[in-house]
Amino acid sequence: MSQERSAETATAALNRRRFLKTTGVVVAGASLGDMLLARQAPAQTKGTTLRCISASHFVPAYDAWLDDFVKKWGEKNGVKASIDHIPGLEQPSRYAAEFAAGAGHDLIQFNGLILTGHYYQNLVDLTDMATSMEKKYGKWMEKATSAAAVNGRWYAIPDYFIAIPVLWRKDLFDSVGLGEPKTWEDLRKAARLLKPKGHPTGMQFSHCNDANHNWRALLYSFGAKETDPSGKVPALDSKETREALKFAKALFDEGMTPEVYSWDDASDNRYLASGVACWIHDAISAYRTTQDTNPKVWQSTYLVPEVSGPGGRWNVGEPTIWSIWKFSKNPTAAKELLQALKDAQKEAMGASRGYNMPFNANHYSNAMPGLADDPKLSVLQEQPKITAFFGNPGPMTPAAQEVLTTFIVPDMFTKVARGGNADDAVKWAMGEINRIYAKHKGA
Amino acid sequence: MSQLTAGRHPSSGPPMAVAVGGRVGATRWWRTPTARRYAFGYTLLAPAVLYVTLLVGVPFLFSLYLALSDASVGSPVAQFVGLENFKAALETSVFWVAVRNTLIFTLGAGILKGLLGTTLAFLLSQPFKGRRVVRGLIVIPFTLPIAVSVLGWKWMFDSQFSVINWALSHMGLIGGYGTDSWPVWLGQPTLALLSVMFVNVWRGFPFSAIVLMAGMTSVPPEIIDAGKVDGASFLQRFRKIIVPMIAPILFIGSAFDTVFTLSDLSVVYLLTNGGPDGATEILPTLAYRTGIAAGALGRGAAISLMLFPLLLPLIVILLRSLRRRQY
Repeated sequence: MSQERSAETATAALNRRRFLKTTGVVVAGASLGDMLLARQAPAQTKGTTLRCISASHFVPAYDAWLDDFVKKWGEKNGVKASIDHIPGLEQPSRYAAEFAAGAGHDLIQFNGLILTGHYYQNLVDLTDMATSMEKKYGKWMEKATSAAAVNGRWYAIPDYFIAIPVLWRKDLFDSVGLGEPKTWEDLRKAARLLKPKGHPTGMQFSHCNDANHNWRALLYSFGAKETDPSGKVPALDSKETREALKFAKALFDEGMTPEVYSWDDASDNRYLASGVACWIHDAISAYRTTQDTNPKVWQSTYLVPEVSGPGGRWNVGEPTIWSIWKFSKNPTAAKELLQALKDAQKEAMGASRGYNMPFNANHYSNAMPGLADDPKLSVLQEQPKITAFFGNPGPMTPAAQEVLTTFIVPDMFTKVARGGNADDAVKWAMGEINRIYAKHKGA
Repeated sequence: MSQLTAGRHPSSGPPMAVAVGGRVGATRWWRTPTARRYAFGYTLLAPAVLYVTLLVGVPFLFSLYLALSDASVGSPVAQFVGLENFKAALETSVFWVAVRNTLIFTLGAGILKGLLGTTLAFLLSQPFKGRRVVRGLIVIPFTLPIAVSVLGWKWMFDSQFSVINWALSHMGLIGGYGTDSWPVWLGQPTLALLSVMFVNVWRGFPFSAIVLMAGMTSVPPEIIDAGKVDGASFLQRFRKIIVPMIAPILFIGSAFDTVFTLSDLSVVYLLTNGGPDGATEILPTLAYRTGIAAGALGRGAAISLMLFPLLLPLIVILLRSLRRRQY
């Protein structure tokens, strides 16, 4: 009886704490919002027009929040501000057209496909802004410059990145006597034991974005490098790469089905939500989808930020950054909106249901909206320490971007998974990569 | 050559030509009836020429310019690099895989569309109840927005929830989900190429049927009847009467269809994006990814121009055959 009472008390205390925490976050968020809206843009921007463009977000509620934020910011500052959303994959063609025409949006977003290296000569230098933001919100995460800076100057302001953690089924792992996975070997073992029970795993061996993320995470965790730190010399041809390929082959043979050759970015979400997958390696959209469509599976779905390999623990995130065209007629207002967006980072996180991971250290110091209120998601608060981007350890140069968009890394893994020799696959990949880097070097 | 001087009539303003030396009849060349006829003809032709020049010629020349330069999406000034971009494309194994797939895709889809389109055209030419409704329904694949229809097929080819697989499984033709006999339509190289080809055929064969039906309506029924009276079989009537008579339409239809198929980016892009491991890579998807997504405009343009030597002989043969038949 007393135990029951103490349990009740504990629950009540927990509820009170949670209530205080939640209300605290809401009040702080609201106050912050008011503070931001109180910030006035310079007088010369009044009556001007500002056009922004962003990728359609995976969380529709975030786009709604962003639309509302831009609208309200515009009303408050007397700027006719609007924002368009297009599919992320259409961004390169849209920006190529805008650049060729010398007209279009003022504030543009690069999402995943980072083209700063291509356009930096035609983008407004935002170094001062990046420096002041660092003073205000804490150190930029180490890899932020990879996406936003070229030759030491910032031509973009990092907004958020998407983490790609491991989502694993605790009930299934328990059923074969396994605990929380800590290494890639743990994941392989789980897949090997659970596939015969009808619960294989899956990572895309196909031409999709997740394939680019996932296999790079494995590569980096095995100590492989895409380039040297300068980003100029390809460095994929290594013992570590071969080890990663051999591991992937074993993982495929033991724990996957041929379905993974046909998967797109959403297939693994469905695999998890359907209750089949024992683990997947994907953004928390998979977790949210499962939460909405299959609560029973969701209850036993847990996250680890990333697992370790022989070369450490590396997660490959997807950055989202903002830039201003030099031909923009309203760079002042664009900068003001960028500042307001950065000031509203926590609101944005809440709106994205924890999907948007911030780049500045201070945003991790307190309870993170969308993550802190779910104990299973709160583990992601350590994500910046283990996150790398494409081309690692070099920056996301145009050459690295081309290697990414031509799916050379996933194809290299696919060749081995289909029974090809690891040496031949590396040789093929290096042939393609060297040609790409030679072209960019020549240019 | 007569000498003309400009004079002015005392009562009228406009200047007039007066023949010096009293010789009349020397007229400026542009006032001759032949010249006027030419001028009139060229004036009528001008909009079409302008249209083709602006919408075909200029983009083509611009592509050529890009292909011969090191242009990238962010560099306004490009340098001439000669045939470097073509050489770079030819050196990659992915390019050759794309060429092979493009040829298989175009030829395979073309043959299938021809066969299915012909069959459908004959079926729809027969009188039956509800023919108009069926004719309307049959063109739906062609008229649907490509993104919508291809996404529908993507679901039907889904590795886990494929309605095709579930139907086949329930009919006992394949095993259940997770078994080796469960086809992964977009994951197995040959199946993936066949699948994207199939969707292209599904979208395109109503067009072939419509073109054929339009041609067949121009064949006078009495000629067909005469063939029947003379004892010509169905195939003989088709080969000896219908095809020769509708050849111009067939050729133009085939030319259109070949161009559409060869340059079809959407089906592959939406279904497989060229994967897995390049199994469905075709030249348009490779050109798009290299030129636009990766920003290497020069190399992207060079890859897309590789379609030109593939298309040119085909179109020349078709148009020459057409001309021979006309004269």
